Amino acid sequence: MTPGGPRAGAEGRGAPRAVSTLALAPPVRDGPRWRDLDLVLVATTAALIAFGFVVLASATAGAGDPRTYLRARALHLGLGVVALALTARVGYHRLCALWRWLYLLTLALLVAVMVVGDVRLGAQRWINLGPLGAFQPSELAKVTLILTLARHLDGRRPPETLWGVAPYLLHVGILVLLIVQQPDMGTGMVLVAIAAGMLFLAGVRLRVLAGLAGLGLMGFPFLWSFLHDYQRRRLLVFLNPDIDPLGAGYALNQAKIAVGSGQLWGKGLFAGTQNLLRFIPEQHTDFIFTVVGEELGFVGAAVLLALFLVWLWRALAIAAAAPDRLGRLVAGGVAVMVLFHVVVNVGMTVGLMPITGIPLPFLSYGGSALLSLCTATGLLLNIGMGRRRLLR
Amino acid sequence: MAVRRPPEVDEDAGLRLVALGVVTVLLFVVLLGRLWQLQIIHGQEYLQQSEENRLRDLRIPAPRGVLYDRRGRALVSNRAAFTISVLSMELRDPDRVLPRLAQILGMSEAEIRERLRQGRSRPFEPVRLRRDAPPAVVAMVEENRLDLPGVIVEVEPVRHYLGGGLAAHAIGYLGEISQAELAQPAWRGYRMGDLIGKAGVERVYDRILRGRDGRLRVEVDSRGRALRVLRREPWIPGRSMVLTIDRDVQEAAEAGLAQEGKPGAVVALDVATGEVLALASFPAFDPNLFAAGISARDWQRISRDPAHPLLNRAVDTAYEPGSVFKVVTAAAALARGTATRATRIRCPGAFRLGGWVWRDLRAHGTVDFTTGVALSCNVFFYTLGHRTGGEAMSQMARALGLGERTEIDLPSETAGLIPDDAWKRRHVGEPWFPGDSVNMSIGQGWVNVTAVQVARMMAAIANGGTLVRPHLAREVLGSDGTAVQRFRPAPAGRVEMAPEALATLRDSLRAVVERGTGRRVRLPSVSAAGKTGSAENPRGKPHAWFAVYAPADRPTVAVAVVIEHGFRGGLAAAPIARRVLAAALRIPLPDEEAAPAPRLPAGARGGRP
Repeated sequence: MTPGGPRAGAEGRGAPRAVSTLALAPPVRDGPRWRDLDLVLVATTAALIAFGFVVLASATAGAGDPRTYLRARALHLGLGVVALALTARVGYHRLCALWRWLYLLTLALLVAVMVVGDVRLGAQRWINLGPLGAFQPSELAKVTLILTLARHLDGRRPPETLWGVAPYLLHVGILVLLIVQQPDMGTGMVLVAIAAGMLFLAGVRLRVLAGLAGLGLMGFPFLWSFLHDYQRRRLLVFLNPDIDPLGAGYALNQAKIAVGSGQLWGKGLFAGTQNLLRFIPEQHTDFIFTVVGEELGFVGAAVLLALFLVWLWRALAIAAAAPDRLGRLVAGGVAVMVLFHVVVNVGMTVGLMPITGIPLPFLSYGGSALLSLCTATGLLLNIGMGRRRLLR
Repeated sequence: MAVRRPPEVDEDAGLRLVALGVVTVLLFVVLLGRLWQLQIIHGQEYLQQSEENRLRDLRIPAPRGVLYDRRGRALVSNRAAFTISVLSMELRDPDRVLPRLAQILGMSEAEIRERLRQGRSRPFEPVRLRRDAPPAVVAMVEENRLDLPGVIVEVEPVRHYLGGGLAAHAIGYLGEISQAELAQPAWRGYRMGDLIGKAGVERVYDRILRGRDGRLRVEVDSRGRALRVLRREPWIPGRSMVLTIDRDVQEAAEAGLAQEGKPGAVVALDVATGEVLALASFPAFDPNLFAAGISARDWQRISRDPAHPLLNRAVDTAYEPGSVFKVVTAAAALARGTATRATRIRCPGAFRLGGWVWRDLRAHGTVDFTTGVALSCNVFFYTLGHRTGGEAMSQMARALGLGERTEIDLPSETAGLIPDDAWKRRHVGEPWFPGDSVNMSIGQGWVNVTAVQVARMMAAIANGGTLVRPHLAREVLGSDGTAVQRFRPAPAGRVEMAPEALATLRDSLRAVVERGTGRRVRLPSVSAAGKTGSAENPRGKPHAWFAVYAPADRPTVAVAVVIEHGFRGGLAAAPIARRVLAAALRIPLPDEEAAPAPRLPAGARGGRP
């Protein structure tokens, strides 16, 4: 039942040397073979995107002109498919080889946001690309982090001390700092989660990771002083939603009402009153899961979660069967990224997590996010194709 | 690239991926469990909440019933007014909206927040902040509509007291129901923010007058913008009532009190039915100030006024009756046979008992019964009191309804006090001495009575002994204007007096007006019978009393007047009683034309049809 579990276990204990031997063979440089495509992953991704398209149509049905959103979504999808195909074709090796350039480009874009970025909803996160819409460099930073950190970790012994982790902390820390100051606490947390997951998969000892977590907890009071008022209020409201039922607690309460009122079968597509009467702010982006819960009920929400679970199972399976450590780290990073997004996003709409503005993969409206997800999926497919070829 | 990898590095990589897979599954199980909890276990509650979200039940306040005087002239009606309210659920940004709103309404932000806090138990009902807002305030709210999400302007009927302060103490005033009242069973079914009667008829008959509020069920979006009306339930107006008050008599009473200018009260009763023709207390207040919720400033002004304008001196204040009590002494002596019409008593100007001396104003010489009453000769009454005894006087006083509540239909009433041996032993620790009877005979000592009790006593003597129950409600009107309910409270009791004794008493009281201390009440064409009183009190000049009924031969109306520190009943109180009698009996008073204009509160004389 664990995605990729048995296979990963077999590799880890049963035949490590065999894999090493195989991996020692020079890689075949004739590019990916499309017939080795992981069709389950492709199908699941397509299903999630289709699901998201329908839910988005409902979430924006009450807006001035809902077709605006759907047209933009179609454009984003087109770009996403191109990005997915390109990444799958180019491959993670070549992209990782460009890691210095990628990292610098991302830094440059994040700095550029600080200078020329659009301010929306009180945050400066977007670079306006005219008719193409707005680009959010922090979304690119997630993929950049996965590729560059994988490259950084690859071929090195896992650090055994806290001091040994320092270079990796610096690697992720610079990106996180630039993003958190926008402010975009949510994406900052995603980067931290990706980094933690990749360090774990790279074999960093658990006590070192525990030490890092301890340091993080000790640093919390320090972090608290840097939080914006609204961020502190969100955290306090999460602990007690009743302290501010009309302010910060409003979205949380309304989200729970929407999801809860869906009951088993939901109120039906385009029939959710919480959705259509717009009781939930940002329901087409961060709170799109409330539309699923309200209109499709427990059954619809469970189907959606099942799709994510299948997607993650494929991602972890690909990681487990990756032809090399670099591929495993990249695939693992992608899996952690999507897992973190799903758990935090759904968790926040059902009151299990504080409200943080991070989107639900493939469903939330937003071009940059979809683009980075498609790129990440392309990486997975590419790693998966490499595996099949080598195992043959 | 793979060549650079040390082989031992990834030995537990597979295990770590398994761990990640296990964590993934666990997290999904938690999410699914939470969804089950929200959607399946608590789904029904959330469904209800989502309905409440989109539905607004707006209350449309019903107008209260109109109050008419006995001749069908409106005393209290309603007018439309604007109310500024806040819908809490739509108030998304209180820190921005409330300071602005406070500025417009002239309220403190803290006050608004407190009211919103109180209204939090019903988040879908408007919290009314300012009733009867002036047009300028309404205009400002409308102009700033975009900056004030959640703030709404409603049209509500507001009580309009046509006569200003006219009969304020009888009619009462409105106020928002308090937390304490909401908790009482008497106010079951009422809700926070309801305006209810706080005093007078408005309070006693609140359930008749209030009607039933209408409802409007509206579907709204998250900003509270109404999308469509789902159900409309019209209000049912409160039932109108006819009061026993005669506005002319009431106006005469208030004009008289205002002219005298000292705190006091007037009660005029129909001697046969106990219907209250006038019930006035001075100084009064304007109930219009309360109609839409009184401002803090007005409330301070009224509640801190040393003259206590809110105090109903006609029923809530008991005074020493002074010589008015001589009616009781005379009646007790006649009933006990300790005196008859033929009784003659010598007045040397003082009455001696043991070593004690009770003085009179002057030596009246030998007076017969009628003259003794007419001149209010103290020695005459000291003698009667001494002969008759305290117990007989107490019994007669109670039989005439003194020292107990009249059960008038007003929310509060004081009982006053008629002392006796048992009372004195309990409260003073001494037995009743003959000297106490002497004191009591002229209404001194511990005797305390209210104006409405005195008026009823006079009515009982006038109607032959029936102790009527004073009341202000006459009829409840149906929607077509006809009476659906009449108020005829049963008498509270009867005073049994021999006809000869009653006739003697009546003749004596008539003599008071014709040739005694009450001459100032004499009317051009109608005879009257009454009794003056000057009640010594330790706090200043004596209180002035006058109690009277008329016409003396076929009485219809009884009046009691008390003026605090008015000194002589015949001087301060009798002219007021005369005006009231004249108004009640429809007797024109030529000399009244020279009287100065009465000082009534603003608008008190307005609204005459």
